[in-house]
Amino acid sequence: MLRYTLGRLVSAVPVLLVVSLVSFAIIALVPGDMASEMAGPSATAEELARLRTQLGLDKPIVERMLDWYAALLLRGDLGESVLLRQSVTAAILERLPVTLSLTFLALMVAILLGVLAGMIAAVRPNTWSDQGVMATALVGLSLPDFWLGLVFIWIFAVQLGWLPTGGYVPFAEDPLGWLRAMAMPAGCLALTQMGLLARITRASMLDVLRQDFVRTARAKGLPGWVVVAKHAGANVLVPVLTVAGVTTGILLGGAVVIEQVFSLPGVGRLIIGAIQRRDYPVIQGGLLLTASIFVAVNLVVDLLYAAVDPRVRYDRR
Amino acid sequence: MITRRQLGAAAVAGIGASALRAPAIAQKRGGEVVVAQQAQPPSLDAQTTTAQASRNINLHIYETLFARDEAGNPMPDLAEGVDISADGLTYRFALRTGVRFHNGKVMDATDVKASLERYGKVGGSAFIMRPVDAIETPDARTVTVKLKEPYPGFIAGLSSPRAPCAIIPADEAVKEANRIEIIGTGPFRFVEYRPDSHVRLARFDGYTPNTNFRERDGFGGRKTAHFDAITIRFMPEAGARTAGLQTGELHVLEALAVPAAQRLRADRNIRTYEMIPWAFQTLMLNHAQGPTGNVAFRRAIQAALDLEEIMAISTDGLYRMTHGWQHPGTTYFAGEVGKELYNIKDQARARALLREAGYRNEEVIVLADSSFSNHKAAGEVTAEQLKAIGVNVRLVVLDWPSALNQRTRREGWHIWTLMLGIEPYEGPYGVVGFFSGHAPVQHERDPVIEDAQRRLTTSLAEADRKKAVADFQARMYDQAIAIKCGDVGIVQAARANVENYRPYRIPRMWDCWFA
Repeated sequence: MLRYTLGRLVSAVPVLLVVSLVSFAIIALVPGDMASEMAGPSATAEELARLRTQLGLDKPIVERMLDWYAALLLRGDLGESVLLRQSVTAAILERLPVTLSLTFLALMVAILLGVLAGMIAAVRPNTWSDQGVMATALVGLSLPDFWLGLVFIWIFAVQLGWLPTGGYVPFAEDPLGWLRAMAMPAGCLALTQMGLLARITRASMLDVLRQDFVRTARAKGLPGWVVVAKHAGANVLVPVLTVAGVTTGILLGGAVVIEQVFSLPGVGRLIIGAIQRRDYPVIQGGLLLTASIFVAVNLVVDLLYAAVDPRVRYDRR
Repeated sequence: MITRRQLGAAAVAGIGASALRAPAIAQKRGGEVVVAQQAQPPSLDAQTTTAQASRNINLHIYETLFARDEAGNPMPDLAEGVDISADGLTYRFALRTGVRFHNGKVMDATDVKASLERYGKVGGSAFIMRPVDAIETPDARTVTVKLKEPYPGFIAGLSSPRAPCAIIPADEAVKEANRIEIIGTGPFRFVEYRPDSHVRLARFDGYTPNTNFRERDGFGGRKTAHFDAITIRFMPEAGARTAGLQTGELHVLEALAVPAAQRLRADRNIRTYEMIPWAFQTLMLNHAQGPTGNVAFRRAIQAALDLEEIMAISTDGLYRMTHGWQHPGTTYFAGEVGKELYNIKDQARARALLREAGYRNEEVIVLADSSFSNHKAAGEVTAEQLKAIGVNVRLVVLDWPSALNQRTRREGWHIWTLMLGIEPYEGPYGVVGFFSGHAPVQHERDPVIEDAQRRLTTSLAEADRKKAVADFQARMYDQAIAIKCGDVGIVQAARANVENYRPYRIPRMWDCWFA
């Protein structure tokens, strides 16, 4: 297992290298730069050129790229944000708890409710409850999260007055306030992914329920819920886990939009702001971090396979 | 002609007229007011940044020697006044006494000298200090600024809120840009800044109000902080800001979309405040290349466009049709000059001018950006109107930094849609300067505008400077240097329990209070 884990970590290096190269290439291709943004509409070409020299933007892209890699490899430094005037690492670490807690909460809600809905649909196939659950899942899958966010705000904040319209309260300061602040954004994100998990769970469960061991368990006289929850449920976990891994990546992407809608100070909002203002070090660092999280999640999912399915072994024999 | 939709009985239109009216209701102290704005400030070092998001916050913390009154004219703030020598070379500022910084230190001439010197190095409009030869402090209450050459725009520059020439303690003024402690003399002091979330300010109980005035006036006057604290939240999503105002989580919005303001008209808990003028909507023309390099073609554009349609669509109906390149009612407003060529909507004349220009269906690129909805909408309407008279138009919509980058080039654009907000508020220097100097926006220098700029920036007599601005405006219309479409308004909004709120260039949280 350790050897496998180390191998996967080593294989992540070229993935991250490609991500950083692609992001550098995209940044180089996009017109406009932070000098244009900082100097404003009345800036002259000469003023812009001076500002570009000050910011080091006049250097060739390859030179800037090599400088960045050198700082990363030698000092573990992602560079300094020109506009925030702080290190990119610090800026990301400051915001990471918001994005991770939002994604984690959304993932938990999506898994719990999605799997439950899928199981309910599977045990009563082709009934009204099955159709109802699947139709709801399809609606959740189809709705754009920014629109859903605004609808949630209108219902739960403006009409019912239950939750705040946005903003963030750190968990350490006020756990209840944190939960209230995260309820709508996490619910929104979860709803869009819940449908996918419900559909996968239903399909897997229908398949498992036709297996011999389920028939045997029923023949032994076990109660129906024990057969479904314990015997069949355990076998549904592997495909669900695979989808949950992919879902985590989608949720991280969705968090970018949701953080904007709900004014959450997370990494997504940091990256969006950096793109709008061409703060290259932040874009670069943010993308590298996002890719790293994605790689890590996939690794964790692969390791969890072994935990939930005894047939999966990564050790060489 | 004034055209705008009424946004409800509570709307307060215009600025200035009510500035001297004394509040008729009892003032209450206390409470934390929550203000929402779209963007977060790039810096709280007021001298260094021209961003509106920073101004909204910084002008509660910092003050300047001269500020702007309700109508946008310079007025003394930390200075009692200024004596200007007959040759226009020496400015002697007498400072107000007993003014304290937020760290408890009393402001004196050394702080002012150090702040002005720092502004010349790091200021967002550092060019205003270029004519300065020396700054002297004959005593603790007096600062003398000596210029190398007459520069009548000096007080206008010092008083501009664009990148305020904030007075900070001398020991902070030696620090580099954005490395200072946030210490000013304003009615509120800095408490905390959480990036992407909020800034919190608290009332400065050691504040020394300017007793030369009876009440607030623009960014100056006698300022009184009633709220215990201000939280300024950064909320990028307009719908969430509006919802926050409806629920009462937010008390004041720096801007509210016009359709949202109309929707909230019936809500008795909310008051909307119109403010016209906020900005100019303009179409900048590239004289360096293509058809727009030909004056007859530019005149054809000027003749063809239905500017009212552009304004109505790009502003959601909150606009004013005025031709002036300065706001009416301000010192340098040039009256009727050029009005006969404004918004004439004469397509026959436009077609004749196209023939005169020898136009042969060359492509005309209208450059706009998607970051500001006004810019994009103005670009779309302009493009359609020009197609109607047979111009081969291509609309190019980029994001804001890309559009800014594109327009600095001589090629790749012919018409650029741009709102000018702070420049016309500042007065004529920024507006005339936009079209003159070594790199004018139109990319080709115009001798008449260059001469107007020279007279504006060197003439000691105000009448001569006014004449220079009038000549500038006449040339703008005669040569169709650029097109002014009209004045754009904005709507600010507050909960009904925020008493005595009055709209201005920023949501001012002094001299208002909770009912």
